[in-house]
Amino acid sequence: MYGKEKDLVHAFMRKQLSRRDLVRGLAAMGVTATVADTLIGMATSEALAQDFDWTRHSGTGVKLLLNKHPYTDAMIANLDTFKAMTGMEVDYDVFPEDVYFDKVTAALASRSSEYDAFMTGAYMTWTYGPAGWCTDLAEWINDPTKTAPGYDWKDMLAGLRASTAWSGRPGDPLGGEGAKQWCIPWGFELNNISYNRRMFDQVGATPPGNLEEMVETAAKLTRDLDGAYGIGVRGSRSWATIHPGFLSGYANFGQTDLKVAADGTLSAAMNTPESKDFHRHWIQMIQNSGPKNWATYTWYQVGTDLGAGASAMIFDADILGFFMNGGDNAEAGNLGYAPFAANPAASAPTPNVWIWSLAMSAFSRNKDATWTFLQWASGVEHALFGARDMDFVNPVRQSVWADDAFRARMAQSYPGYIEQYEVSAPGAQIYFTPQPLFFDLTTLWAATLQRMVANEVPVDEGLDQLADSVNRQLKDAGLG
Amino acid sequence: MPLAAAVPAPPRRRFRIGPRLLPYLLSLPALLVCIGILIPFGTAIYYSLQRYRLSQPWARSMNWGENYINFLSDPSFWNTLQVSLTYTVLTVGLELVLGLGIALLLQKRTLLNNVISVTLLLPLMTAPALAALMWKLMTNPNFGVLSYLVGFVGFEDFRWASDPSTALLTVVLVDIWVYTPFIMILLLAGLRSLPTQPFEAAALDGVPRFVAFFRITLPMLMPYILTAALFRMLESIQQFDIIYAMTQGGPGDTLTVFQVEAYLNFFQSTNVGRSAALLLILWAITFFFSNLFIKNWLRLRERARGEH
Amino acid sequence: MEHESRLERWLRGIALALVVTFFMFPIVWIVLMSFQTNETILRMPPSLLFTPTLSNYEALITGRLVSNAGVLEIEFMSNLMNSAILSVGSVTIALLLGVPAAYAFARHQFRGSEDIAFTLLSFRFAPPLLVLLPLTLYFQELGLADTYVGLIWVYQLICLPLILWIVRGYFEDISPDVEYAYRISGHSWWATFRDIALPLARPGIAAAGLLAFIFAWNNFIFALVLASADKQPVTVGALAFVTASGIQYGQIAAAIVLSIAPTLALALYAQRYLVEGLSLGAVKG
Repeated sequence: MYGKEKDLVHAFMRKQLSRRDLVRGLAAMGVTATVADTLIGMATSEALAQDFDWTRHSGTGVKLLLNKHPYTDAMIANLDTFKAMTGMEVDYDVFPEDVYFDKVTAALASRSSEYDAFMTGAYMTWTYGPAGWCTDLAEWINDPTKTAPGYDWKDMLAGLRASTAWSGRPGDPLGGEGAKQWCIPWGFELNNISYNRRMFDQVGATPPGNLEEMVETAAKLTRDLDGAYGIGVRGSRSWATIHPGFLSGYANFGQTDLKVAADGTLSAAMNTPESKDFHRHWIQMIQNSGPKNWATYTWYQVGTDLGAGASAMIFDADILGFFMNGGDNAEAGNLGYAPFAANPAASAPTPNVWIWSLAMSAFSRNKDATWTFLQWASGVEHALFGARDMDFVNPVRQSVWADDAFRARMAQSYPGYIEQYEVSAPGAQIYFTPQPLFFDLTTLWAATLQRMVANEVPVDEGLDQLADSVNRQLKDAGLG
Repeated sequence: MPLAAAVPAPPRRRFRIGPRLLPYLLSLPALLVCIGILIPFGTAIYYSLQRYRLSQPWARSMNWGENYINFLSDPSFWNTLQVSLTYTVLTVGLELVLGLGIALLLQKRTLLNNVISVTLLLPLMTAPALAALMWKLMTNPNFGVLSYLVGFVGFEDFRWASDPSTALLTVVLVDIWVYTPFIMILLLAGLRSLPTQPFEAAALDGVPRFVAFFRITLPMLMPYILTAALFRMLESIQQFDIIYAMTQGGPGDTLTVFQVEAYLNFFQSTNVGRSAALLLILWAITFFFSNLFIKNWLRLRERARGEH
Repeated sequence: MEHESRLERWLRGIALALVVTFFMFPIVWIVLMSFQTNETILRMPPSLLFTPTLSNYEALITGRLVSNAGVLEIEFMSNLMNSAILSVGSVTIALLLGVPAAYAFARHQFRGSEDIAFTLLSFRFAPPLLVLLPLTLYFQELGLADTYVGLIWVYQLICLPLILWIVRGYFEDISPDVEYAYRISGHSWWATFRDIALPLARPGIAAAGLLAFIFAWNNFIFALVLASADKQPVTVGALAFVTASGIQYGQIAAAIVLSIAPTLALALYAQRYLVEGLSLGAVKG
């Protein structure tokens, strides 16, 4: 590290200097904010290293399988800090998101020892865990000889810690008894409203407060705006259509995907009267004010439309709205964020979450070294670096949400973001029943939604048929 | 190079068979290379006879033909079969007609025709997965140039791959765009290599051109048409890239062709047993059809040879 | 066909124009997109008016994408290199193996010849999914996992049957008389094959090679499952522009243009062989 700057950073470490003064001081020396944070990161790492021997795996290497994602970019940007601190080598293979999980499944199913750790979503571990492909990380987290005292596992949001842990018994609650920590939350997204403030102002609309209002507001926007439609939601024939806004709203009415009987058998729960009512509203909303090509809409189209000004709002991942407020998007800077509880009687939103997580391959030949990497990558220091300077958002750690620099950045460029988060965070968790048929059943659900939106089958009948197929599949798999 | 082994063959009278081993020596390396790759095929057959979900390793067991028997009563399987066959017949049929038409247009050996025939290969050179991505953008109702253009001719609300009634048409359209050039180039080659005498004779006899086309051109072109159709059929019934990238098999179950179903079963549901059984049925269907094609092809060639 | 009426010429011209429009329009549109930023591509309604930019090509070729999130590394050029290695390698091997075999099937009726030929064809339709996963296991044991050699071997499933069947048809079209004469004059079998049969079949071999090249170039499932990130072809590489923070259409378009270019160059070079060479199964009197 360069001499003068280093002294300044160390002063900051000893808490003699506020962060703002530090950055200002460094800026005076011609150091940009990014570099400043890297310096701070290195210095905190040095401090970190005093309580824990980070160099015990020096000279070894780990190989990662990563998805092309802003989280990955943030990690790679900070990787030198880790290498310098531990003396370890880190190799990585980055694959495009479109084919990423195929690569993961292929690598794990063939029991390849090539990769030590990989990025995953929590849903995927419902397959990987029982299949014996990833390791229960609780073993490492709870071992003080392997985990630095500053790691602070409890700093991770409780809902996320629970949502990434499961006993492996179909229907058992996430994070319940006997749960294994299949992966560690890394960055996550919860589902709320992101909207175009310019368009809302233009027609005098406000972010809706419940499902009825959402249907009406979307219709009004479609009617009054020239060329843009009211609300963007996903619609492709995939689990990805069910898990964002749709399930978040659905769960807000206390509805579940499956019922778990006392004897542990599972059965379909999506054909209750409340569920049918919810579906009717949802479908009406898409038909009247959704994207015309809804049935082909994935994350990318929903985001693109919002960013390019083709849609006025989306009920999808908050970070999708976050990404669209920057870059070369036409509407960058015009977007705002709002929490959303679909049920007027509900006290708070219940956003279902997607958690990009890190998991350790069961076939890794050097698990302790891999853990060294995992705890750094999911540690406070890297989270702070990523949240302040890169798009490593949403952070999974409370301490990062409390960080002034991060809050200032969000408040400045992303109006309403922190507020929507704070209202929703207590209810943010996975609302699916964990079981091995997750992908079969959600794909079936999405296909049924498509048929209902295309008016090929009425809602009541469609949901009854869906419940029948779901029950049949559960029985076939020995779960029903 | 195994060819070296064949060198010492002494020149006998003509080359009736040469050394008896020669043809085997020539064809075996190719066969071995492929068989080496296909050893895992046996593993796949074994999987298809199992109850085998990666997510439920404890329930793995041999269930012999159960995966196959289950298909009989599974409406989604019959739907898959029907969609796959419809797709294959539509694409191969339309591409043959179009490809033949274009080949006829380009039949004359002029520089312009040659250049056009090579440029028409451009869609074929675009990887289908990427081509589908671009088509998805071009058919987007907001930014898509095609949506914009069809809006002018009165299809204001055309939903392309998103509507069950037009989804099949849309993917067939993309398939036609990508693969017609393949058929075109094969048939063009065929047309240009036809002998000229029969046509001259027919012209002298005053046979109308379209009669000559059906009586002379088509029959003589048949071996080419069969080969082109065969290779297209093999690809089309196994179509994945275009359909998956554009619709993921939707809307509803409109486009759940074999490969899409098998892919979802394998990579998402990790239901290896069902996926393998599906693919083996697909393989059997393809085997049956290509056998049919090849038999006819060989017969046509034999007959043609006999006539001259 | 010499005496076309004027009406016929007009109709022919119009038909050709329609054909060229249908097949070329998307290509032209992709080329136009490759000179635009996402901002102008995603306009409503789409428009032909834009200020062209070379930034997409620049990012792909230099491998550095400068955005507000920092500088991102792009592996596209190495993807392009991988595609070249894989396609050229596998077509070469397929020609070395396939042409002699095609010759054997064309010139010799031997016991089981049609069965072997058909078996070779049937490899073309073995669903890749069935084969790939078990193959990963075997490859690890053989040390072929994540190697070009292993991949080129697997690519034979795409290239070899195609080459074999097209070249076979071509050999069958060539009258064997010249070869007979050459051999009677005392030349070895090998010399006959090398000096007579191969040169005569060159157009067929070139055309089959080009088609096999195209199909190999467009494949991506083999490399995706069997190899690590540094051996991925352009087809996988171009998907990297589909990111969580948006699809970079301009860069994908530029990637498509760059990935078509080598194949197109090859096709134009081989143009005179292309059509003549595919006259498989031709029946000459």
